[in-house]
Amino acid sequence: MEKKKILVIEDEATLQKALMEYLTLDGFDVVEALDGEEGLRMAKREKPDLILLDIILPKKDGYEVLAELKQDETTKDTPVVLLTNLGGPEDVQKALDKGATTYLIKADYKLEEVAAKIKELLKMQ
Amino acid sequence: MKIKIINDLNIKKQAEELAVDIWHTPSFLFIVMGVITAVIMITNYYISVNQNRPEVLVISESIIVITIFIIGNSIIESVEQVAKLNKMKSEFVSVASHQLRSPLSAIRWETELLQSKFGEGLTPRQQEAVQTIRSLSGRMVRLVNDLLDVAKIDQGRLALKKERVDLAKIVEETINQCYAQARAHNVDIIFNRKKQVPTIIGDNDRLKLVVENLLTNGIKYTVGKGRVEIGVYEINNYLVFNIKDNGVGIPKSQQKRIFNKFFRSDNIVKHQTEGTGLGLYIAKNIVEQSGGRIWFESREGVGTVFSFSLPIKQF
Repeated sequence: MEKKKILVIEDEATLQKALMEYLTLDGFDVVEALDGEEGLRMAKREKPDLILLDIILPKKDGYEVLAELKQDETTKDTPVVLLTNLGGPEDVQKALDKGATTYLIKADYKLEEVAAKIKELLKMQ
Repeated sequence: MKIKIINDLNIKKQAEELAVDIWHTPSFLFIVMGVITAVIMITNYYISVNQNRPEVLVISESIIVITIFIIGNSIIESVEQVAKLNKMKSEFVSVASHQLRSPLSAIRWETELLQSKFGEGLTPRQQEAVQTIRSLSGRMVRLVNDLLDVAKIDQGRLALKKERVDLAKIVEETINQCYAQARAHNVDIIFNRKKQVPTIIGDNDRLKLVVENLLTNGIKYTVGKGRVEIGVYEINNYLVFNIKDNGVGIPKSQQKRIFNKFFRSDNIVKHQTEGTGLGLYIAKNIVEQSGGRIWFESREGVGTVFSFSLPIKQF
């Protein structure tokens, strides 16, 4: 089976690296972006199966990235999982309104649970 | 004499609690206003009885109005100052907690990675060390989450979702989650699930937190072999949850303060040093904001029953 490609848009280097290593060892093909603009470029170029997106990002924040992803023909159907530490109900609502598939709080989720969520969304289980 | 009045009325304590000067406490300003008003009124009385001069009366009446206005103004100012300080404190807690979440996430993920993917070369002692870091960082995340919730409660902006909640399912999930902790404390958990109970409308995550807080309290505050019994049932359009333990109990003298923020009773501090005194405060606020009520009965050395009720509403 071909490896599923995941794009991780996250500016915090440690978190980015941990996610990338874990998901790679779990059998995913992982590509990364460290800011919003790079994230958008990578999404169009790499055509990932799923995008993990942080909210507080340099250059373009997660909400803007999400809105642009949803407007673009090539990326509008790609599931986007917001992975952030902003956990207010208003943040969650805003993300879902803009078309995020789901929303996970980094501090509350283990890598194992993030990976399980990805597999569930990609119907790999 | 002055000091005595200040002590008697607890003005000093109020000043400390509000973090303002004694001269700025509302109680002190009210006393000053009362004294000045009384003095001027008595003077007015003498003027009106002894002197038949309306202009003197008008002047002294004006003095009363001006005095009340000035002191009233400084009361408003000091109340505003207190409110501002309070708001700053809540905002500080909120910002600090958000900032703490990022490095904490990194610690948790890195240790998880070390344990689950790179754990092969580690000696048992090294694995134990990693496990300790993991569980302690988990505890820090819970503490930060609690502080964030308290800040939201204090600012009156704890927003609860309205979704379908299966309380019995929440209880089962929480029991599974707390299983290891219960084993470690030698506590059996029994869930008396007699029949299907109706779903309610509420916030799944927050109500889970309430159940979690009550269950972990029941486990933590049991000494020796113990037993925690949970029941969920329907009474008059309310869903009632109760949890009974045979733990250390709450001393009668401290029962009134049990839902206060940061309160921990003397006997539990002796048994269990871990704990912040936020769990029940948060639980009470979540239950009440969900339209319910929370209460308990307890006897020191015998055990405690905590209960909460939530209205059964239809969509």
